[in-house]
Amino acid sequence: MKILVPVKRVASLDDEFELRDDGRDVDPDFCEFDLNEFDEYALEAAVQIKEAAPEGSVEVVVLTIGPDDADDVLRKALAKGADRAIRVDDAGLEEADRVAIARVIAKVAENEEPGLVLCGAQSADQGNAQTGMSVAALLGWTRAAVVSKLDFAPGAATAQVERELEGGLVECLDVETPAVLTIQLGINTPRYASLRSIKQANAKPIECLTPHDVGLSDAEIGAAGALSRVRRVFVPERGRGEIIAGTPSQQAARLLEIISEVNG
Amino acid sequence: MIPSGIDPSKVTRILFQDFSPWMLAIFYVYAIGCMAAFAWGVYAQIHKYRAGRRGDRLAWGDIGRRLLDTAKTIASHRTLRRRDTAAGRLHAFIFYGFALLFIGTATITLQEDILGPLIGLEFWHGHFYLLFKLTMTLAGTGFICGLLYMMWRRGWLKPPKLDYARPDRTPQDADFSRERYRIEDWAFLWTLLLIGITGFLLSGARMVWLQNDPAVWDTRWWAPVGASIAAGLKAVGFTSAGAGALRMGLWWLHGVLALTFIALIPYTKAKHIFTAAASWMLRNPEAIRHLPLGDLDAARIGYRELGDVASRYLVQADACTKCGRCHEACPARAAGYPLSPRDVVLTLREQANTHLGEVLPKPRAAGCATPLIGLATGEYRPETLWSCRQCGACTEICPVGVEHVPLINMLRRTLVDEGEMDPALQRTLGAVNKTGNCFNESRRKRPNWTKDLPFKIKDARKEPVDVLWFVGDYASFDPRNQKVSRAFARILHSAGIDFGILYEGETTAGNDVRRVGEEGLFQQLAEGNISTLGDCSFNRIVTTDPHSFNTLKNEYPDLGGTYDVSHASAFLKELMADGRITPARKLDFTVTYHDPCHLGRLNKGYDAPREVLAATGVKLVEMGKSRDNSFCCGGGGGRVWVPDPPGTTKVGEIRAREAAEIHGLDALVVNCPKCMTMLEDAVKTTGNERNFRVLELTELLAEALEPEEPAVLPAPAEVG
Ligand code: SF4
Ligand code: SF4
Repeated sequence: MKILVPVKRVASLDDEFELRDDGRDVDPDFCEFDLNEFDEYALEAAVQIKEAAPEGSVEVVVLTIGPDDADDVLRKALAKGADRAIRVDDAGLEEADRVAIARVIAKVAENEEPGLVLCGAQSADQGNAQTGMSVAALLGWTRAAVVSKLDFAPGAATAQVERELEGGLVECLDVETPAVLTIQLGINTPRYASLRSIKQANAKPIECLTPHDVGLSDAEIGAAGALSRVRRVFVPERGRGEIIAGTPSQQAARLLEIISEVNG
Repeated sequence: MIPSGIDPSKVTRILFQDFSPWMLAIFYVYAIGCMAAFAWGVYAQIHKYRAGRRGDRLAWGDIGRRLLDTAKTIASHRTLRRRDTAAGRLHAFIFYGFALLFIGTATITLQEDILGPLIGLEFWHGHFYLLFKLTMTLAGTGFICGLLYMMWRRGWLKPPKLDYARPDRTPQDADFSRERYRIEDWAFLWTLLLIGITGFLLSGARMVWLQNDPAVWDTRWWAPVGASIAAGLKAVGFTSAGAGALRMGLWWLHGVLALTFIALIPYTKAKHIFTAAASWMLRNPEAIRHLPLGDLDAARIGYRELGDVASRYLVQADACTKCGRCHEACPARAAGYPLSPRDVVLTLREQANTHLGEVLPKPRAAGCATPLIGLATGEYRPETLWSCRQCGACTEICPVGVEHVPLINMLRRTLVDEGEMDPALQRTLGAVNKTGNCFNESRRKRPNWTKDLPFKIKDARKEPVDVLWFVGDYASFDPRNQKVSRAFARILHSAGIDFGILYEGETTAGNDVRRVGEEGLFQQLAEGNISTLGDCSFNRIVTTDPHSFNTLKNEYPDLGGTYDVSHASAFLKELMADGRITPARKLDFTVTYHDPCHLGRLNKGYDAPREVLAATGVKLVEMGKSRDNSFCCGGGGGRVWVPDPPGTTKVGEIRAREAAEIHGLDALVVNCPKCMTMLEDAVKTTGNERNFRVLELTELLAEALEPEEPAVLPAPAEVG
């Protein structure tokens, strides 16, 4: 049985940073990149299932979508116990939103036929918390979001999961497999990937595919497959007030100016 | 000397007189049997040690110096006298007593069984014999006195360090009990004592038995103890014949005891006679400051199974005499953590004995695969290994040269390799890997502390400098320590030193990363720094951080970076000696000085900081634990990054309380950025914030240099 763990290389910002010239994202020069923390828990959950099962019966496959820089997070995942790594190159995916990304993951899942897809509950940089659920929707598989406990014996028809709800309530679910689960922080204690194990992971191959390789059509790739588009990223200037002086028509003109400025 | 009329050749000891041939036969059979048992035991032990990894062998060129050092150390009992003078001296009595008695017995064998039968040489009579008797009496007396003291010490003085209760186990655990060791200790002392006492009684009985032989009787006072016993025996009515029977009984008792003892040496604690010497000779004198270089491509980076452990450590495990010096010195143990360095050693010993065989050698392959770390009986628990501060107090004081520090480090390397560690530590190591510092700050921010200086520090990457200042993480990023860094910069600037720093180019030196057990990351950091330094032109390196100092000086050479490295305190002392800086006034504070482990114990930097202190005019009152016995601030071995569990005593708090005992203390002077962080915190949590401050040596000196500056010490705060 396979467990597919899609992981993301997330950015964390320096205190001081600049935006990209097009104003639609942060200039990557000012970011440090790392494996998404939520995904570390998902990966650990997968590796623990593998370790509890008879040797060789479970394969943990990690997947990321991005440029070759993203190999770093795959190596880290391999160092932490994943068996195989796939990277789908993001050339042509520049305009992809989480749904377009989910299409890639779903296709890979169709090809790999895992018993479980374990995603992090959300990404630390963008925090949409939608990718995992979109994958489930695209596949038409059972799903459970923000899982805080997971019991699953490979091969079983269901997985037992718990979710924490408002007011300290805990919901226990039997989830039919194959299923897509998004994993909450704290479900386990992710292991450390020592530098030596990361170096050793450098020797393992990473399968590099294009969106076409996994079977996506042009209509599903990037902007075409996306349901939304980032228009602008900005830091709202706090405490900036402006008293508009002048005649009513001058004030109206200035107001229009401000509105169009903000709309970008 | 020998009374006239007595033939000197008659002045000798009868050995087997009145022994029937079958008695002699029994004696020789038993003696040879004991020798065989001894030889077998030696073989079994060596078989055991050889199961260990053969790495880092002794360089043969060194052997002469090592032998000499071992001989000197044993002869002087130097290491045994440290922090326990009485026990050390009395052990010397036992040691020399035993050695002389043994040599004495050996000379008998030499004449009787070797030289006599072979070449007919007989020397064991006359004046030689009389001197021999006197020497044996002195030796025996010292031997017995020493043993009696040790019994008194164990039975009545009961020093806490001889309490074998394990902090790393609870009484419910199968391997909690140390009862076997206690029984063995007493059996050992009693056996030796009985050998000594029966020896004297035998001497007295022999004199009474042979009272009619003037060659015996008239020279009896050469053995004064035996002669006194003889007088006593006569006084209670022993005749020659009665004493003869007594002599026969005692002779067998003494002989059998002594031979049995020899047979048992390799199997009991008596083996320390050999293992302690071997351990001392094999030890690495650099052990605490220079950890072994790990091979990142090897199948294993640390100790996971018994067979991974270096043979040398297996010998050391057998050398430990459970003296408790390491246990007493260990700060983690003192603060109630589940660690005693003694138990670390004994655990290894017990695993080796159980799985490799102590009496009957076991097949090595199976035993070597015994796991070392885990929660089962006889295994090292991860929490025990993580409790260690790598402060070196244990290894530094061990009289027989046991190297706890690298042993614990090698075990931790396995934990790191398996990814098992506190999440806080994971985050820190992750940050170090990502940003090159343990504060998870952007590399760009490393030199931010220099912004408030009225001058610009040279960028050593861009222009040549005389002194390259390696700043280190805590001195760069921690706000309290940044003040110290600026003070040091001002001193260097005003002294006209041509110095520079690496700005964003510096990454953490990796000393503590290595002590955590993250050898791969350490090597990456070191290689990075070495390559950065390789592109710079400088004459020497100075750092205020003893941790960076230690690894730059002692560990970077393994990776190709050899530099002239000084700690700031030694450098400041140099500047004063050269007259480049002169204190402008005397500070009238009462201070105490906390020796940082990495500067003091690890690198013997005890005096320079004290000389700098003296120059500021302060009154230095030493704490009970200072210099080599300094007590870690609690931050070593990566523990600065791991919060102590709630409800536990912090190691630093013990230190803060020790300082607080000093009457009228104004400041606790530290000399390390991590000590500053740990002890400032501990001074607060022990409620001593209003009683005294924590100051850096550099700050104190900076103040003494500038007369117009207001005192850094505020007027004592009003309480209430
Ligand atoms: S390891 Fe050394 S210091 Fe510790 S108890 Fe054994 S002999 Fe003593
Ligand atoms: S290095 Fe320090 S903390 Fe670690 S065992 Fe030795 S004395 Fe204890």
